[in-house]
Amino acid sequence: MLAIYKKELRAYFTSLIGYLFVAFLLVFVGVFQYRHNLVNGYANFAYAVNSTTTFFLLLVPMLTMRILAEEKKQRTDQLIFTSPVSIERIILGKYFALITVFAIAVVIICIYPPVLHNYGATNYAIAYTTIAAFFLLGCTYMAIGMFISALTESQVFAAVLTFMVILFTLMLDMLVEMLPTGHMLALVVLLIIAFVIAVITYVMMKNKIVTVVTALVLVGGLVGAYCYDSLMFDGSLAKVFGWLSINSRFQLFKYGICNISSYIYYLSLCVLFVFLTIQAIKKRRWEA
Amino acid sequence: MIKVENLVKQYGDFRAVDDLSFEVEKGEILGFLGPNGAGKSTTMNMITGYNSATEGNVTINGFNVYDEPEKAKRCIGYLPEIPPVYPDMRVKEYLFFCSQLKEVPRKERKAEVDRVMDLLHVTHMQNKLIKHLSKGYRQRVGLAQALIGNPEVLILDEPTVGLDPMQITWMRELIRSLGREHTIILSSHILFEVNAVCDRVLIINHGKKIVIDTPENIIRTLGGTSGIRIVVDADREKFGRSISKLGNVSQWDELEENPGEGLHAYSVYFSDEAENRARLFRLCAADSLTLYEMNAIQKTLEDVFIEMTGKEDSAC
Repeated sequence: MLAIYKKELRAYFTSLIGYLFVAFLLVFVGVFQYRHNLVNGYANFAYAVNSTTTFFLLLVPMLTMRILAEEKKQRTDQLIFTSPVSIERIILGKYFALITVFAIAVVIICIYPPVLHNYGATNYAIAYTTIAAFFLLGCTYMAIGMFISALTESQVFAAVLTFMVILFTLMLDMLVEMLPTGHMLALVVLLIIAFVIAVITYVMMKNKIVTVVTALVLVGGLVGAYCYDSLMFDGSLAKVFGWLSINSRFQLFKYGICNISSYIYYLSLCVLFVFLTIQAIKKRRWEA
Repeated sequence: MIKVENLVKQYGDFRAVDDLSFEVEKGEILGFLGPNGAGKSTTMNMITGYNSATEGNVTINGFNVYDEPEKAKRCIGYLPEIPPVYPDMRVKEYLFFCSQLKEVPRKERKAEVDRVMDLLHVTHMQNKLIKHLSKGYRQRVGLAQALIGNPEVLILDEPTVGLDPMQITWMRELIRSLGREHTIILSSHILFEVNAVCDRVLIINHGKKIVIDTPENIIRTLGGTSGIRIVVDADREKFGRSISKLGNVSQWDELEENPGEGLHAYSVYFSDEAENRARLFRLCAADSLTLYEMNAIQKTLEDVFIEMTGKEDSAC
């Protein structure tokens, strides 16, 4: 694991990518810090961090697109996956390398609040809980990016898809507001989602029985719940999409609302996508 | 040392490898022969644990590749078809990374990297970026990688592809010398190479095993009786009259070559394995045919290979 970790870290800092990532991230934080704290005179550093999260859109794909796609393209995956290191440890090594590059930038960001403190009262608690959430949010996006990179051998495709997925999570708040709240419509949309899940199951597993069982369980559950209490479905769409909204949870931190469940939410997503990456690689062994 | 049992690889409706079984003894070099697309690389990827098998088992040194992958992979050095090198790394840096990956003890890493660089003659290239190396040197770095940690089993997928003739000769010598300490599976579609290097040959086509034996045995059992090529100054008609006096000629024909002014080359096959060269010589002397050349026609592995894989193709 250490070998892979060191190799990836070296790869980021012998090419320009690692430096560019850290530099851009710091530029964005610097610009927003100047705008919010210096020009507009707010004492809350969390505003600067909050505005920067939008730029994960550009920064995360930059780092994650090559992480697995490049290995496949160059056929170097034949070296690492035939070495006596397990797939789990290889993926973890790579993920920790991604996080380390990001952590370098975050550590530098941590210097801002004490510096600001020289010019007035800064709330350290709000600043650092927000920075911690910022770090975990970044880690979540990195895990998603790594998963997407494992699905393809084209770095461009990985970058574009990661960009789209992060864009979707950013737009989700806006979309949720527009969703209808009626229970009949909610059932229809949820049934469509159940159908899509069944199709994805079939594409991934090519197993008719599993697909049919999945579809029956999902549809049966939904229809059953609807018959039992249809009012339960009022506003359920907004709720379901709200769970997926990675970014909306972050918005509360800048007001000083530190929600432990949000930290746990981000950590769970990191674990989930690292796990999915490992499964994607294992699945590839069967197909290729 | 290597035991492959009923290996199957299925892609949808297509069987890339079909019920393949063989064993390789310790210290043996097995040549893995087949036309392009016969399933050689797929089989090697399954033996090294890079891909999973649809059915069947591979055991390396007593460890099942799918049940105890880490232990089995520790015994294998693998050179895939395309050397798995990172273009942006320097040669020494890359080999050092491989030594970490293959869990060579920390203190021995430097010595191990120096050893393989020396063996493959890449020491003078150690500080070059791999993307600046020629194909031949990349292949050498790829093989150096496979040798790191001194694994007992080497799996080499077409190790001489893309090398110039000098490098090919050198590579074959190296593989032969490695064969003294390692068990090697070597794939190739160059028959001469397999003949020159390997102890035994496994021929596959369409993912199926056709034959596994020593090159000599394959030629002997499948090649039929050998014939004699003869160059005389007699035309077809005159030679035919003479040759019919020998009772045991099964087949003869004029060869399509031009041995010289007024000369003709013929192939003569006999129905028995007796010493026919002396009889042929005496026949020429008696019928006053001047004998210019006489040599045995050796069926090569190449003939056998074309015969066997060709037969398979026409049967399909």
